[in-house]
Amino acid sequence: MISPTHRLFKSFGIVSTLLLMIGGSEASAAGLNVGITLHPYFSFVANIVGDRAEIIPLIDADANPHGYSPQPSDMIRITSMDVLVVNGIGHDSWAFEILDAAGRKDGLTLIYANDGVSLIPIAGDNSGEKIVNPHTFISTTAAIQQVYSIARSLGELDPDNADYYRDNARRYALEIRKLRAEFDQKVTGTDLSRFLAATMHSGYDYILQELGLQVSAVIEPRHGVEPTARQLADTIDRINIAHVNVLFAEKYFASKLSDTIRDATGVRMYSISHISSGPYTPEKFVEEMRENLNTLAQAINDVATDQ
Amino acid sequence: MVLSAITVTLLATLALYVNERGQNVETQEIYGWQVSAFNTLTGADQAIYNSLYTVKDEIPYIYDDINYFNQPGEKFHWPNLQDFQDYLLPPFLMDTSWEQNGSLQWTLFEPLPEGEMQGSTFYRGTDGQLPGQGSFLLVIGHIHAGFTNSNAIVVWWNEANHVEMPENGFRDSLILRGWREVVPYSGSEEVRRIFGE
Repeated sequence: MISPTHRLFKSFGIVSTLLLMIGGSEASAAGLNVGITLHPYFSFVANIVGDRAEIIPLIDADANPHGYSPQPSDMIRITSMDVLVVNGIGHDSWAFEILDAAGRKDGLTLIYANDGVSLIPIAGDNSGEKIVNPHTFISTTAAIQQVYSIARSLGELDPDNADYYRDNARRYALEIRKLRAEFDQKVTGTDLSRFLAATMHSGYDYILQELGLQVSAVIEPRHGVEPTARQLADTIDRINIAHVNVLFAEKYFASKLSDTIRDATGVRMYSISHISSGPYTPEKFVEEMRENLNTLAQAINDVATDQ
Repeated sequence: MVLSAITVTLLATLALYVNERGQNVETQEIYGWQVSAFNTLTGADQAIYNSLYTVKDEIPYIYDDINYFNQPGEKFHWPNLQDFQDYLLPPFLMDTSWEQNGSLQWTLFEPLPEGEMQGSTFYRGTDGQLPGQGSFLLVIGHIHAGFTNSNAIVVWWNEANHVEMPENGFRDSLILRGWREVVPYSGSEEVRRIFGE
């Protein structure tokens, strides 16, 4: 009798572990130079390619990707890339300015990480419009879809390592899924019926939706743009009428606005990471998503305790 | 002169706003027998579809995993609901998020060796607990069995809360029984909209 665990790790566990052992001694000198635009993509690519490719972040680790202005050093970095992984749907538009300025618009292969992602509209938008939400990387399911998509594209560019990339993508996807399992252990049996959330901006729609947590209101009309006095008053009214009891704000970009809303409504406030700041590391995405999910679990349990 | 400068400034501001905020997605063309995951599905059904859209890439890998130790002559089988629990695979994984998204009851129908069901594998999700919730059908068509022209995996949605198992997986038959193929608005389409490529 073969156990499920045994079967589970059969092909991509045993085989890819052997591949890792073999590949561990190989240098990446002949591998691809893979550029990335955002922190999550560094983690995704690092976990896919191991030591068989170099990863080159397009902008400095401490640069804020929101409203980023291209720098001369970016042009130098982009010249050494064989391929560039981009979000491409609204979060790294500056990358295309750099491509243009460096004269690599037609010569550099681009991997659009979201090519295979089923997008969702921005939640809580009362305008009636369906606006694409580009924050696909603050998630688990959409993140996994991007990992597979990137691995497949890199495998097409580097066929000798295609199986290695695919197996690593599978292992990494399971690691991301385990984050959901950890979250579940923290909220199992908790009453979520009164959990009603608002967010400062639309960055958390993907993760909240996949967890089955709906967003009742979004404060900022656009990422980084504060609402007008009228918009803010309307939003506060909506929060009060809908009995919203939790507000999620951005961890790295503190805003006095969130304090104002908390004071006006009495909501509990929590910080979620946008995964867009600090050093580029292979572990960053999992570490910060784990922290985000812990925060969500804390908020859920706090609301349940209030009842 | 001043008016021109103001006009240019306004246009530049509008362009920046549209670029950063995105645009209303009204242009996606779908047939009457299809349904847009982006424009039509909402809440839990949209979340369930997006999970199905991701796991359809993983199911063939899992199929290889679970049949790896088969003995000669042993029948290959598609992952069942317990396999999906082992792999922590939403929307099948019965965790808190599954409950929040309506606790759909999933059933696997394996392909039959002959007859109308030949060459198609179904995962049916039905009887959700949320108001207005629909049902889902993930159909895996097998080219070797003559079911389709490709090894396609297609997700269907039915606005009915409870549905019986379809008699077969053929498109026209499903459509007649109220099923509509779910079409995503994918990143590749958004890239084409932004860059016109």
